Amino acid sequence: MKIKTLQDLENVRKAGIKKLFPDKPRIAVGLATCGIAAGGQDVYEALETALKKKGVNAFLTKTGCFGICNEEPLVNIAMPGKPLVILHKVQKEDAESIAEKVAKGKLPEEKALCKIEEWDHITSEKPFFYGKGYENIPLWNEIPYFKPQKKVVLRDAGIINPEDIEEYIAVGGYSAVYKALTKMTPDEVVEEVKKSGLRGRGGAGFPTGLKWEFTKKEKSDVKYVICNADEGDPGAYMNRNEMESDPHMVIEGMIIGAYAIGASEGFIYVRAEYPLAIERLKLAIKQAKEYGLLGEHIFGTEFSFDIRIATGAGAFVCGEETALIASIEGKPGRPRPRPPFPAQKGLWEKPTNINNVETWCNIAPIIKKGGEWFSRIGIERNTGTKVFSLVGKVNKVGLVEVPLGTTINEIVCHIGGCGIKSKEIKAVQTGGPSGGCIPRNLFDTPIDYDHLKEVGSIMGSGGLVVMDEDTCMVDTAKYFLSFTVDESCGKCVPCREGLKRMYDILEKITDGRGTEEDLGILDELAHTIKATSLCGLGQTAPNPVITTIKYFKDEYMEHIKNKVCPARVCRALIDYFIVPDKCKGCTICAKNCPVGAIDGGPGLIHIIDQSKCIACGTCMDVCPFDAVVKLSGEKIDTPDKPIPVKKGR
Amino acid sequence: MKKTVRIKINGKTYEAEEGESILSVCNRENIDIPNLCFNEALAPYGACRLCMVEVVNGPGKKGMTTSCTLEAVEGLEVVTDTEQIVKYRNVLFELYLAQAPNSEEIKEMAAKYGVTKTRFAKKAKPLDPLGNKCVLCGQCVRVCDEIMGTAAINYIGRGFHTKINTPYLEKNDACMGCGACAEVCPTGAIQMEDIYDKRIMKSWSGTEVKLKKCKSCGRYFAPEPIAEFAYAKLDPEIKEELKDLCPDCRRKLLSRKEILISQGEVSKNED
Repeated sequence: MKIKTLQDLENVRKAGIKKLFPDKPRIAVGLATCGIAAGGQDVYEALETALKKKGVNAFLTKTGCFGICNEEPLVNIAMPGKPLVILHKVQKEDAESIAEKVAKGKLPEEKALCKIEEWDHITSEKPFFYGKGYENIPLWNEIPYFKPQKKVVLRDAGIINPEDIEEYIAVGGYSAVYKALTKMTPDEVVEEVKKSGLRGRGGAGFPTGLKWEFTKKEKSDVKYVICNADEGDPGAYMNRNEMESDPHMVIEGMIIGAYAIGASEGFIYVRAEYPLAIERLKLAIKQAKEYGLLGEHIFGTEFSFDIRIATGAGAFVCGEETALIASIEGKPGRPRPRPPFPAQKGLWEKPTNINNVETWCNIAPIIKKGGEWFSRIGIERNTGTKVFSLVGKVNKVGLVEVPLGTTINEIVCHIGGCGIKSKEIKAVQTGGPSGGCIPRNLFDTPIDYDHLKEVGSIMGSGGLVVMDEDTCMVDTAKYFLSFTVDESCGKCVPCREGLKRMYDILEKITDGRGTEEDLGILDELAHTIKATSLCGLGQTAPNPVITTIKYFKDEYMEHIKNKVCPARVCRALIDYFIVPDKCKGCTICAKNCPVGAIDGGPGLIHIIDQSKCIACGTCMDVCPFDAVVKLSGEKIDTPDKPIPVKKGR
Repeated sequence: MKKTVRIKINGKTYEAEEGESILSVCNRENIDIPNLCFNEALAPYGACRLCMVEVVNGPGKKGMTTSCTLEAVEGLEVVTDTEQIVKYRNVLFELYLAQAPNSEEIKEMAAKYGVTKTRFAKKAKPLDPLGNKCVLCGQCVRVCDEIMGTAAINYIGRGFHTKINTPYLEKNDACMGCGACAEVCPTGAIQMEDIYDKRIMKSWSGTEVKLKKCKSCGRYFAPEPIAEFAYAKLDPEIKEELKDLCPDCRRKLLSRKEILISQGEVSKNED
């Protein structure tokens, strides 16, 4: 059906509510890419079979990701009138027992992670009330992972079915479009976004309302809006999840933006490596067209707008807006100098407004609740929330949405639960390959655009990679540079030539051939590249090196002066030894050594021939007695040749 | 007509056309700024990063930027050689010296600004069709596309491994052999040679272009596609008798006619 009036929207909303609150148990399996990777699809199929077999009258459906990736696969169950319960680490083997319990009106409480009694979708008129009960299950916002979080962008993720527009409308979806189109002028929409203080979530933090105003002011018969979904930072997957879990919120934001600036067509530029996101976006666009929310005369107004999807072909630099535009136009993805900015000359030379996925996701709540409401979240000049993907050497990984201004410590230690196996956390890398490494002693830094810049990093799109005592900071800098060297488009000389030279120097240092002079050259190159590169990629690529030199110079010096890698990561600087007292002569290490560097035999103490050893670490991995040690700059006494293991050990 | 604006370069006031590139103004006024990728005939590209200037005043953003992409506006004030610019430019020259170690032009330009050595390992690919002289300024690619409309060559790969050549490193029929690429190349990297009836684009995967034979003297004088390209563009059309003549024979023919006319042996309207 085509939605033309508020009443039409209301009718669809009611149909959607029936799906969210059916008069039977609703079981939703988390099927974003993370859930599927953890086995969610198998769980879904097993549940389908089990429910059918046992003749259970329940509504089985899919949902997006609720954010706590450690605990995947997640399944949520809502009994009529009872709290929504989130089950974690559900395996397909659990399907039968879940079905059995549901049939009896019970819950598999032993699998419960938390419950939701009331949920605010923000765009709905009032919060949804599920019910009270299950005293033994903690409330979702009582568990440490969620306690400091505030879900604005992820308001629907993991609750509604991302493949059903009716469920999106049920939680107030597209009512912001209705409000904007029928009750607000384009100027008022821009004004509202300006009032909210929303800044671009792609990383640079440019005020969104101002950007819209620039494009709005341009006079042109055709204008475009673009959603930048070319997320490519290593360890960052916020945008993927936003698109997979709630694609309609992206579309809704774009419709409102297009109305505000006067655009008639939109593009979502999404990387081809995100097939599920593309599939769900395509479906969402199709549904929105069917319901008349995209196309001619939306809500019966004069405003018409349509969205197409453009897929990227694997170039990181296409996340840069001018390269992205070139790519949509079918040209090689190479940035061009700005000005002219896309707001003046963008796609096919027409005024174009580009925003990141997450920026678009914030628009509907701003229009629905007002810019004033939004500006109260977060801190001054950094309003609203930000979704981070917390990954690396931290206990709990996943998507974390917190108000801007939350400290690193809060995210890494309280939400993330600190280091794995109680290892000491050393640093956190924010902003992907363009960001910097922030050391532990600066963890009270609030995460927002300005404070991160002060400590030499950037917000970026929201990747937070945690590093612990086993991470070598020189190696980390080298890793990020290898990424930017690979992804540099090759247009301008500092980025193309300079980054490779920096990488070569870092390789020299991790190989134990570095000199103090190299550090100076590294610094000189880093600042030249930052100052002279054409686009954001080159201008920020040296950040991981600059910050690691600034905060972890002692590690560099250990590599250079003492030829020691304190974290024992750099292969050229580490040696493996077999501790004679611990070796039981089982021969497993010798059998597995790929280069035959281990001498020994049954019942003999094994010895590694250092001249043959390639430091691959296989012996350490396979030794059942923890007899292999990894050292850098140290040695232990070992026999000259294999001698019998002492009896009685 | 375009508006004239007043801008300041190194403290001195100059007049410029509004929107004109600052590098153009500097070239005209003999203010020395090194550059490799700039060409008045082509759209500004901003890739070589050598023409950095510092914007100290004006309506736009302050700070360092490339003068080739910086447009003249009323009140703009730039400085061309701050300590910072010199420092960064010297590092860029070192990168160029390592990237194109065989280019005399690069050595000369770098030396002019006091850079004679590089701390970086020199690239030396033994079979480089561009003789380890290319700095990827892209003038050849752009002239072939923007001016000739041919796009016979383009970038291959990306980042440090970018190179310029024909698609799939195969001989390219699209090439008209005009040689504009070699003409604009600032480092003398592009090699071509005329052998008997062919022009060989040595740097472009050995692409061969047939040469046109002069119907009078019999010498090969221009690439066939270029001659046809030029004839097609002429309006009014080229006279049949002038077609396929080399420049020398064409001149001879025209001179002879002029003489005959002046001697009254033929009337002006006869042809």
